[in-house]
Amino acid sequence: MSDDHKDVLIAAYLFEDLAKRDFDAVLQLAEQQAITMEGAVLVQKGTDGEVRVTETGDHLGRKGAKVGGGVGLAVGLLAPPLLAATVVGAGAGAVTGRFARHRLESGIGDKMDAALPPGSGGVIAVYDSSGAATVDAALTNAVKKSVAQIDGASAKALKAGLAEAQEGMSG
Amino acid sequence: MDEGEAEHMNEQDIDRSTLPIRRPPFQGTPERTLAGSQPDWDYVAPVAPPRDAPNVLLILIDDAGFGNPSTFGGPISTPTLDRLADEGLKYNGFHVTALCSPTRAALMTGRNHHAVGFGMVGEFAGPFPGYSAMLPKDSQPFAKTLQGNGYSTACFGKWHLTPDHMQGPAGPFDRWPNALGFDYFWGFLGGESGQFDPVITENQSSIGVPEDESFYLPDAMADKTIEWLHGVRAQDAEKPWFAYFSTGCSHAPHHAQKAWSEKYLGAFDQGWDQLREETFARQKRLGVVPADAELTTRPTNMPSWDSLSESQKRVYARQMEVYAGFSENADWNVGRVIDAIDEMGDLENTLVIYIWGDNGGSMEGTLTGTFNELTTMNGVPLTDEQQLQLVLKWGGLEAWGTELMAPHYSAAWAWASNCPFQWGKQVASHLGGTRNPMVVHWPRRIADHGGLRSQFTHVTDIGPTILEAAGIPQPTHIDGVEQTPMHGTSAIYTLDDAGAAERHTQQYFEVLGNRAMYKDGWWLSWMMPRTPWKLDPDTIKQFAPGVWDPESDPVELYYLPEDFTQANDLADQHPEKVRELKELFWHEAEKNHVLPLLGGLTTFFGMTPPLPTQSQFTFYGDVQNVSSGMIPPIFNHSYTISAELEIPGSGAEGVIVAEADHLGGFSLFVDEGKLKHSYSFVGVMEFKQESEVTVPTGSVTVRMEFAADAAKPATGGEVTLFINDEPVGGGRIEHTVPVRFSGYSGMDIGRDNGMPVDRSYADRSPFAFTGKVKKVVFDVNPHPEDTHEQELHEHAQQGLAAHAINA
Repeated sequence: MSDDHKDVLIAAYLFEDLAKRDFDAVLQLAEQQAITMEGAVLVQKGTDGEVRVTETGDHLGRKGAKVGGGVGLAVGLLAPPLLAATVVGAGAGAVTGRFARHRLESGIGDKMDAALPPGSGGVIAVYDSSGAATVDAALTNAVKKSVAQIDGASAKALKAGLAEAQEGMSG
Repeated sequence: MDEGEAEHMNEQDIDRSTLPIRRPPFQGTPERTLAGSQPDWDYVAPVAPPRDAPNVLLILIDDAGFGNPSTFGGPISTPTLDRLADEGLKYNGFHVTALCSPTRAALMTGRNHHAVGFGMVGEFAGPFPGYSAMLPKDSQPFAKTLQGNGYSTACFGKWHLTPDHMQGPAGPFDRWPNALGFDYFWGFLGGESGQFDPVITENQSSIGVPEDESFYLPDAMADKTIEWLHGVRAQDAEKPWFAYFSTGCSHAPHHAQKAWSEKYLGAFDQGWDQLREETFARQKRLGVVPADAELTTRPTNMPSWDSLSESQKRVYARQMEVYAGFSENADWNVGRVIDAIDEMGDLENTLVIYIWGDNGGSMEGTLTGTFNELTTMNGVPLTDEQQLQLVLKWGGLEAWGTELMAPHYSAAWAWASNCPFQWGKQVASHLGGTRNPMVVHWPRRIADHGGLRSQFTHVTDIGPTILEAAGIPQPTHIDGVEQTPMHGTSAIYTLDDAGAAERHTQQYFEVLGNRAMYKDGWWLSWMMPRTPWKLDPDTIKQFAPGVWDPESDPVELYYLPEDFTQANDLADQHPEKVRELKELFWHEAEKNHVLPLLGGLTTFFGMTPPLPTQSQFTFYGDVQNVSSGMIPPIFNHSYTISAELEIPGSGAEGVIVAEADHLGGFSLFVDEGKLKHSYSFVGVMEFKQESEVTVPTGSVTVRMEFAADAAKPATGGEVTLFINDEPVGGGRIEHTVPVRFSGYSGMDIGRDNGMPVDRSYADRSPFAFTGKVKKVVFDVNPHPEDTHEQELHEHAQQGLAAHAINA
């Protein structure tokens, strides 16, 4: 059963595979109807610093590797790579030029202070607030979580929720 | 009598008991003119050591344990140590003091650490003789003796015997390496250094942060050592030399080149519990631990590996991978130096003493380990969750080991590093803090290649050993000052005979209230009931005067010939031995200035130095690399930074003044025409302010005023920026650093050397000011109430002491 109060969650992980583990757990909750979910995406930040949406999940907990029509409003909003990258990839305070002097072998100086460092992962999910505790318990591997509450699941509300949750990821 | 015999006789005539050695009597004859005059060419010859005196290479690794190097069964590959051990001797009964400076003081002087003022570390001078951090003139280092007897001498790397407040250009320099027996010094004076961005001192000058972007201190140390050796040999084919190679590795920050740390990817996924068992099995196979030894158990306040989350396991495993790579690189660099000595043909008569660790693995990273060791030193407690988040913030696991962090591994890894023993650094009561691997290599003298020596040996033995090897007596006087006898016992007697009766039969240990007394195989452990990584007020107040009774601390008793690891406490079975060793400890403590116990922590208990009287600090010109322990005392106070600038017509940009880096520091700078101020609260929080108007051209004064909220440690406050005395912007700093910004990074006027405080100018580092900084003035404002001032002073001193313990 859906209610009007929804949580927009961003969770960050040091390890992409652990992000996937938690992502699967959230989808399983939706599939088992333990929570009412609008949608979820799993993103990965590669060692090249690129953020990619690697999986999506719909309100029934069904996975869809491709982003496109029929995945629901939330996923549709979350999934475009550019938006996902903005939400999870940029994070705290924007990246401002090369950080270290030029000798860093990995070049990670360019990418640090992002919400996700290279090789890490993230989960973004929208679900009824009544399931907050259940979802929270399922995210056993998240290093950092930020949740914003919104009313309804309109595009405007979702965007506002994402922005608020993103703000919570900084600092 | 042939020439060699004559020379030998002449050598015997030299009185080496008093240094400097007096000029020889003139053996020639001067007449009114050269006609008939007899020359004496020996008169102009420099002092020479005894014939065949060996070269000496003394290597000391930092913050490392008995169970680290592969030579002693550990997981870290140490082929150089292996090679030297195969051709020389392994010592599995060698002991140190359990703390950095104390071990170094004992190593250099051959005297007990308290007896030479180093019951604590160099960062903190206490008000009692055993804790003064002032090496006394009557206990000069053996390097001074070698130097005075004709050796070339040099020290590379970590020194840590110059008090913190004497590390600037005003000196005094009498406790810098050059004054203590070293012709040449290249390294760092303090207790630790960044490996990518160190502030290097050469002799008596700071030469700053190397500009070379590929610079890596451990490699550069070896380069410099080899360069010096080549120079000595180029000048004199025979003259013996003494090189002290003292690595900053493996002390935090654990900065490792990726190529080295990647060698250990996955090597520690099994965790610390299993690693200890694996190490212990190898130690038995190698024979460095007796076959009947028992592995000691994990302290109850350390988590089992199995209890950790998956993220924790992976982060912790990475901590050890980096530490291992860092350490192996140090051994590789020692190998480069050995190869260079070999290539010069000097190895055959070089006494190499290679000590793996000055105090056992360090548990100062707390249970979680930390992305920035300065969090611990500033008393900023971080939960495991926060640590993981900050790892995420500062670049993830890829950044662990780079200069983006100042990492320190978990205390549990330190415990595993000290396998098979209990505890680690600071814990002088147990072998985990006091027993370290040592290898001695001297082809000309050692016949028992690959032999093992198990006699009790101690760091104070090194000086007497080297002097006996060189055939040089301990001098009775140096520079007119009568010398105290060295406390150590030469270990030369062990070179030939594995079964030789032990000669260093008795030794006290004490660091931070943790005590031990060794005598004839018996070891009394008398540990102060403090978890080594805890220095919070609630912990410390248990040891206040009148509260703590050291006599009532529990004791343990071990008989090491039958219990190598200290696994079987015999205290209940031998109360008479406990009594005897307790009494002996107090006797030795009194004799060596150990008393009062905790004499290095006086500031925690109300004994603070006088309040500082200087409140204004002026920096003219472009002063660089002010030691982090010597910057103006702005901590926990309101203060202003004022600067007089000359801005050219085209405008200017760059740093006016900056201290340390993004992991703790501040920077006042001009960028995009605006006056900006950045403040990093030990990498946990960052605060930035900027002017709303642009900085004008011509003669300009700028000012940053910080108005503290309250007279309390780490106080927040309001920042106001001024240009030509007009307020132009500001903002808040919610938390300020209460004790110290960095363990090594310095303060600069007109630029930001090393890693930048503010990443916005990282691509322009060091972002030198393009106008002119005429002067910078710090005014530290006293708090209105004298009591506040005194309280904050006490806090600052306590913080410094806490920092010092971890240095």
